[in-house]
Amino acid sequence: MRQAIAAFITILAIASAVAAPATAQEPRRGGTLVMGQSTGTTSFNNAVGSGTGIMVPGAQIFASPVMHDDKWNPKPYLAESWELSPDSLSMTLHLRKDALFHDGTPVTSADVAFSILTIRDNHPFNTMLAPVERVDTPDAATAIIRLKHPHPALLYAMGPPLMPILPKHIYGDGRPIKTHPNNSKDVVGSGPFKLVEFKPGDQIVLERFDRFFIKDRPYLDRIILKTYPDSQTSILELEAGRLLLQPFFNRVLELDRAKTNPQLVITNEGYAAVGGINWLLFNNKRKPFDDVRVRQAFAYAIDRDFIVKALHKGLSKVATGPIHSGFPQYSPDVTKYSLNLKKAEELLDAAGLKKGPDGVRLKVTCDYYPGDEDGQKRLAEYMKPALKKIGIEVEVRAPADFAAWAKRMATKDFDISMDAAFAWGDPVIGVNRTYLSSNIRPLVFTNNAQYENPKVDELLDAAGREPDAAKRKALYGEFQKIVTADLPLFWLTELPYHTIYNKRVHNPPTTIWGTASPMLDVWLSEK
Amino acid sequence: MALILFAARRLFYAAILVIGVLVLSFLLIRLAPGDPVDTLAGQMGGMTEEIRAGLRSEYGLDQPTLVQLGIYLERFASGNLGYSYFFNLPVLSLILQRLPATLLLVLTALVVAVLSGTTLGVLASRRPNGLLSQFITVVSVIGYSAPVFWTGMLLIILFASVIPILPVSGMTAAAVSGGWLLDSVDVAHHLVLPAVSLAVVYLAQYSRLTRASMLDVLGSDYVRTARAKGLEERKVFFKHAFRNAMLPIITIVGLQFGNLLAGAIVVETVFNWPGLGRLAFDSVLRRDYPTLLGLLFFSSLLVIVANQLVDVCYRLADPRIKAS
Amino acid sequence: MFARSPVAVCGLVLLVAILLVSLIGPLVYVADPFDIVAAPLSPPFSEGALLGSDQQGRDVLTGLIYGGRATLTVGAAAALISVVIGITIGAVAGYFGGTVDEALMRFTEFFQVLPSLLFAMVLVTLFSPTLTTVVLAIGVVSWPGTARLTRAEFLKIKQYDFVAAELAIGARRGRIMWKVILPNALPPLVVSATLAVGAAILFEASLSFLGLGDPNRMSWGLMIGSSRSYMLSSWWAVTFPGLMIFLTVLAVSLIGDGLNDALNPKLRERR
Repeated sequence: MRQAIAAFITILAIASAVAAPATAQEPRRGGTLVMGQSTGTTSFNNAVGSGTGIMVPGAQIFASPVMHDDKWNPKPYLAESWELSPDSLSMTLHLRKDALFHDGTPVTSADVAFSILTIRDNHPFNTMLAPVERVDTPDAATAIIRLKHPHPALLYAMGPPLMPILPKHIYGDGRPIKTHPNNSKDVVGSGPFKLVEFKPGDQIVLERFDRFFIKDRPYLDRIILKTYPDSQTSILELEAGRLLLQPFFNRVLELDRAKTNPQLVITNEGYAAVGGINWLLFNNKRKPFDDVRVRQAFAYAIDRDFIVKALHKGLSKVATGPIHSGFPQYSPDVTKYSLNLKKAEELLDAAGLKKGPDGVRLKVTCDYYPGDEDGQKRLAEYMKPALKKIGIEVEVRAPADFAAWAKRMATKDFDISMDAAFAWGDPVIGVNRTYLSSNIRPLVFTNNAQYENPKVDELLDAAGREPDAAKRKALYGEFQKIVTADLPLFWLTELPYHTIYNKRVHNPPTTIWGTASPMLDVWLSEK
Repeated sequence: MALILFAARRLFYAAILVIGVLVLSFLLIRLAPGDPVDTLAGQMGGMTEEIRAGLRSEYGLDQPTLVQLGIYLERFASGNLGYSYFFNLPVLSLILQRLPATLLLVLTALVVAVLSGTTLGVLASRRPNGLLSQFITVVSVIGYSAPVFWTGMLLIILFASVIPILPVSGMTAAAVSGGWLLDSVDVAHHLVLPAVSLAVVYLAQYSRLTRASMLDVLGSDYVRTARAKGLEERKVFFKHAFRNAMLPIITIVGLQFGNLLAGAIVVETVFNWPGLGRLAFDSVLRRDYPTLLGLLFFSSLLVIVANQLVDVCYRLADPRIKAS
Repeated sequence: MFARSPVAVCGLVLLVAILLVSLIGPLVYVADPFDIVAAPLSPPFSEGALLGSDQQGRDVLTGLIYGGRATLTVGAAAALISVVIGITIGAVAGYFGGTVDEALMRFTEFFQVLPSLLFAMVLVTLFSPTLTTVVLAIGVVSWPGTARLTRAEFLKIKQYDFVAAELAIGARRGRIMWKVILPNALPPLVVSATLAVGAAILFEASLSFLGLGDPNRMSWGLMIGSSRSYMLSSWWAVTFPGLMIFLTVLAVSLIGDGLNDALNPKLRERR
């Protein structure tokens, strides 16, 4: 009997081995992709909100004018083609004529114009479409975006996470768009998937839209987004084969654990445009942080190699400056800082912060943005022992919740704080906000270091308008050199975002937007 | 008749209580530093000042607190619990969506705890110095002393890596329904660890209390009289002693319905159980006032209903307390 | 009587040991529990970290020695607040009955129907997480149980003959309440008070676990809370502090049991 079973198993094994290559090559239609999320989705309308909880499902439900590949090249999506006028002041989009919204109405230039203006006026990234003056619609398939000044970031601002095309007949009914009821139920887009179920904080079910404008796409029948607020749960579900794809994963221990599982693949591709960096924010308007020597002393006392190697298990990367190293505008030619306690103490002595009889020079409080354990909380806690070595006593102020931290940032009630931001495709969209003096506002995620440097303002403004890529890069290079010397904040690491997926998942999303772009080519093989 | 009158009176008080709870929690929550619009702004990656002001006026946050309270109570009276700031969905539907999961968890834990707890307690009281009694006491003390999240975490460590036979997270494995039978088995499978973690604490408490209470009653004049009358020991034990000893247990079960709900916050967080407890935890952190108020209202309603039932049971069980 | 119960003596010995470690330990073994002493997540018996290190590379053993003070202080103080409020309200309500009882019970129900942990979370969030706010929050939300129990006992004992006898000889109210009824109500109340100390320690741990502890005061709850999301990679960082909480609550509960047996006059008569 035992032999019979063994023989049977062998036959099965051979059969499946023979069958496997045949199915592995051809993309297969059908199947349900179960995807994990760490932050709950609150709305699907990414025209008025950012964050992965909105952008990932939003990019499946709504189509955008263009997509991007993994080399930052724009690709046709709702727009078959586009051209920029020689003066770089108008962008003409030629739309597909066969695109339908989920309710069966065709997508026209009126919808595009409505969406662009809605985003310009309501999206939290207010620099993203600020130069848009108006959108002309000579016919139903043509939209011309008129700009006040050249805006090279526009091609990225038209990508899937940032420019959903909303049906005007639904979202243009006069109700306030931020709280429009169709943002979270009966959502209508023209993307490859439509919303069929939304259990807030638990799961979202998206089903293939059969009349999607790209033939034979998507391959998947269904995408289910499950919320796992706890990363250990995600990893257990991945190991059990119930969860198939977990994007935006930055928990280093679980990543480390996933590496050893033969069923799972981990990759850091698909985050190029996200460009997340975390940093230590100094309150530049508060003594003694108004003194650049003090800020530099902190930088020399913080061991970023320890953070990357020991705390992040080698899964993150030291951030050398304000722009993520995956961006075309990144420059390595900047002032660099590495661990040097002696130099740190000299700088503090020179700044007049002498050690007291108890060995303490300075007492500071350190806040952190709650919600990112590895990227924020652990680094804030690391400041305590690290800065103790140069006589700085750190009291970690645990924010009770996001609102409490946001209020401290908005009212500038802090000494130092951990902070982070995403660049989202172009420095104009996600980098400028942290350094422009005009963006010192009583708001979280603005220039909360209160950094003011007219030269930097000038450079960023010029770079934002420069149509020539090489000249633009040089302007940003200059900017990076200046801020790394001024050190209004100290960049620690590039966020260790990874995707973990089961080997059954083929063509995982690895473009610059990763899972925040439509999953047209993703398909699943049999178990 | 007296019982009906009594119940009607209790109902009236219960209504006042609920309104009191609403007013108190409303005012308390409004005292908190931080602004829900800040949380929303963070969620959405920042927001312009105009949009924030617009949201504030839309949610009525720019009104004086007392006006806000008035508006809230007025809407409440018509059955409208408001919209969640965070999900932008009606609070009532959010809560109703999560309620079954929590009720399932809490009631399962309660039934397990009451049945096994009282059984153990009664067994222990039969021979208060016997080996079994000592053993049960020690076991129940151990069960009581272990923090519920710690038990849960140890169970997760155990079942996640050492013996992976029980799921350690969530409520369902399959994302797609496989028919009601398979789905029920699936949910039951997921229910084991959270329900056990939650039940252990109360099981331990009930068995301790049953034992203490049984010993107390067994030593009372009342039971001695029964014994002196020559009643059969078994009858004395169960009919006279057990019935009376149950009074404090009934009180505690009613009381603990609230605690169980609180315990659910921790257990649901540990096991990622999609119920009200986790919603409550998230709502505190997100400053989602309407949801938090709705939850406070709902849980107080549950506790009030449980307490009313307990009071009625108490009166039925103990003839010495007359309905006044 | 107490000394004759081996279980209770075990509890006492355990508690004394924990108190010694927590109170004297930091004086003998001088270290900063927040210092990084080893590679993060070193397992037990590693160089420099006998019981392993947590995700930051902090020594778990040092944390255990230094974390006891905060945990024990919170437990004792919060339980004291809770028991004092509870017994006072319960006794007055149970003894006087009628309108007083009605009013006090409404007041108690008020606190009872609010889920205690959620209520405490709101309070702690409101006044920012420090040891004092945690103590007050726990004390304020956890007294209704004791109050209800005290009231139930008073209601019951009030009707016994010996109370009627006291009344007949014209004893003062205070005497009847505190000298006659209360001692007779003590057995369950002692159990309840013991539970209150244990419950307060557990409550503090729950709050810390949910991320509402004071991050600058090392406590066992804080250790578990901060290592919670690493438990699959470092069982030692959550298991040992949990074990300390468990042992402390266990010791207190065992002592409570011993006291209960010793104080229960009826049980004594039966033997």
